Amino acid sequence: MKRKTDHQPDRQERLYPEKVVEQTRTNLVLAARGVIDLLRANPTRPKGMDYFDKVVLGIYQEDANLSTGKNREKLIGTFCLSTPEELIYAAGAVPVRLGAGIHATTPMGEDYLPVLSCPIVKSTVGLFHLKLLSVYKRCKLVIIPTTCDWMKKIGEILGNYITVWTLEVPQVKEREPARRHWVEEVYGLKREIERFTGSKITKNRLREAIRLIQRAQLEFRRLYRIRMRETPVISGSDAMLIMNAYSYDEVDRWTAAMSRLNDELEERLRERVSVCPKNAPRIMLTGSPILFPNWKLSSMIEEAGGIIVCDDLCSSNRYIYDPIAIDESTMPDMMIAIAERYLLPCTCPCFSPNNERIERILQMVEDFRVTGVIYHVLRGCHLYDFEERHIHEILQGKGVPQIKIETDYSLEDRGQVQTRLEAFLEILQGKESW
Amino acid sequence: MNVSRLRQLIQILAFGLLVFGGFINVDLTHYLPVCSCTFNDAKGGSCFLAGLQCILTKPFDQYPLDNWWPLLRLTKWILYTVLFFIILNKAWCGWLCPFGAIQDWLTILRKKSGIECARFSWLTHDKLKSVKYILLFLLIILSVGIGNSLFGLPRLTEDLHVPMCQICPARPLIPIFTGDFSQFFINFKSTTKIVMSTLGMTLLGLVLVGSFVKKRFWCAYCPISAFTSLFDNLGLMQLKKDGQRCTKCGNCSRVCDMEIREIAEERDRENIVTQDCMLCMRCIEACPEDLALKATFLGKNVFASSFEGFMARQCIKAEGNRER
Repeated sequence: MKRKTDHQPDRQERLYPEKVVEQTRTNLVLAARGVIDLLRANPTRPKGMDYFDKVVLGIYQEDANLSTGKNREKLIGTFCLSTPEELIYAAGAVPVRLGAGIHATTPMGEDYLPVLSCPIVKSTVGLFHLKLLSVYKRCKLVIIPTTCDWMKKIGEILGNYITVWTLEVPQVKEREPARRHWVEEVYGLKREIERFTGSKITKNRLREAIRLIQRAQLEFRRLYRIRMRETPVISGSDAMLIMNAYSYDEVDRWTAAMSRLNDELEERLRERVSVCPKNAPRIMLTGSPILFPNWKLSSMIEEAGGIIVCDDLCSSNRYIYDPIAIDESTMPDMMIAIAERYLLPCTCPCFSPNNERIERILQMVEDFRVTGVIYHVLRGCHLYDFEERHIHEILQGKGVPQIKIETDYSLEDRGQVQTRLEAFLEILQGKESW
Repeated sequence: MNVSRLRQLIQILAFGLLVFGGFINVDLTHYLPVCSCTFNDAKGGSCFLAGLQCILTKPFDQYPLDNWWPLLRLTKWILYTVLFFIILNKAWCGWLCPFGAIQDWLTILRKKSGIECARFSWLTHDKLKSVKYILLFLLIILSVGIGNSLFGLPRLTEDLHVPMCQICPARPLIPIFTGDFSQFFINFKSTTKIVMSTLGMTLLGLVLVGSFVKKRFWCAYCPISAFTSLFDNLGLMQLKKDGQRCTKCGNCSRVCDMEIREIAEERDRENIVTQDCMLCMRCIEACPEDLALKATFLGKNVFASSFEGFMARQCIKAEGNRER
């Protein structure tokens, strides 16, 4: 289903004074710079991270970084990780994940949304309304999967600014009708992308696009393996930045940078260059997505002495974790493969039942030898909040403590969160030395 | 050399041995749980079902009741078959069956010509699963009915002798490979023969077309697997799954020739050999999770899934010059 701007009655354009817009622009650039500067302050930070800093800063400082690639003309915005990016690359366009982590635009979003909305939706709507950041302006099409309630409805507001394609994601993935429907949806998306880009997605181009992402996945999993090792050679905040850079960057450039970084990290493993003290508690971060520049929680955890060894966030480790197996290179077979990859292994709590998530978390706790789990809930993100209790009980049964941190993009609760984190990490450390 | 290639090679060797083995005096007995036709004079070993039907056909009253000879013979037959079977478990189907190999070759032909494969809906697939048990039941009851009067009914005609063989699509086809067309015809000797041989020839046509568009079309209905799947828990070779490592990405069930869904859906059961499984190990090849799926022989891993292996099979190599 598609909504066009001109079919909609104009909502009352709430115009903000130029001064407010400028102030917001400055604030968001400052926020982005602040995060990067904080990460750079770590003397043991890998040098390979520079590239990812540049990609992310390029978006916020609106320098020409993003306009250098060959396919820069056609940007397609996406939300969540249920949008098959292979289709976008196969059509010669570049996907950009538009979910925002900017605090500065939240108040403008609040004007259009219910009070209880999640910060991601508020921030994104505010950003669209203020027409900030060229990457948002240059997307002419945005694909919004119907995952959580906010994603279902955000398209109706964004339809005022941009052409929206709503991708209907089934909520129960165990049964056949849902899967057939989803394959049909993916075919529909393919036609829309072809129409939008004006180029046909052929069998060969689709296969090449799958291979392109498979190569990125190979490098991603190398990093994943490296983080499993005893010596943490990269901080969790940096690892999350890498995946946030992926959501803005073109995949082949990202893969090349990733390969260089991995080489460096493997070298560090041999030399045992750790980014944290030896007895730092190994933390797993789970729950609501953490989108740049909302680095509040992750940097606070690592400042308080923990090391985030892994996460199961859709903005980070889960983003490109699952690779597609090409079995037969026919169009229908590849389309089914793509559809299944974006539906079946997804552990988003919008699915019910969602046992996959629990199994994934337990496996990660085992693989990464996690000592404590921090469950991040963005205020208003009800689905993640809902699953917190169940996961808490299961982890308790396995002897892994979990703490829930409910917060949003504002920095007001910093002190309170910090106290709780410090206490939690202290308990973990005490447990270790026992 | 990956497992798929190895399997293709072994299939060719097994085909040669089972179909042409007679020329060099190979005899792997007639207790084999594979679709190698006993009517092929050059066979190097044949399907146990033909002999089983012969034993069942022998009238029980030919022997005095205190003589356990027919029962002993039956027990021996089943015992030998099961012993052969449990060595390799269902890998007999996936790696050695000559009729399976023919179907796989048709699939290769289809892939080469770029035609997409057909899939049944879940419901159809599940319903058709019972066909092989019906065939097994019929071949037993009809065989017994020829030699004995069942429930006071008159005995069935001798023309029904070895009923399954008469309709089996492998019987007309496999001898052809040795230049023997004697099975490839419609028998006009009697009405029963006409019906049965027409059924057999029709089925062959159906299976050849069917297995071109759908992977391993016949195997879902094969009464051999209906019988052997009763013993697949005893097999020395097993397919194991670690439910926690599985992300349910669905790669395994999508590439599965038999469209087995349990391989992706099942989490709680470690032993994942299902009735249609033929241990071809394609699921392990398509699995990107380390040790989520593995094939074991006598409890030892012979082949396990891994991310690196997955990427290598997908022909994806790391960029740049990595030090090793």
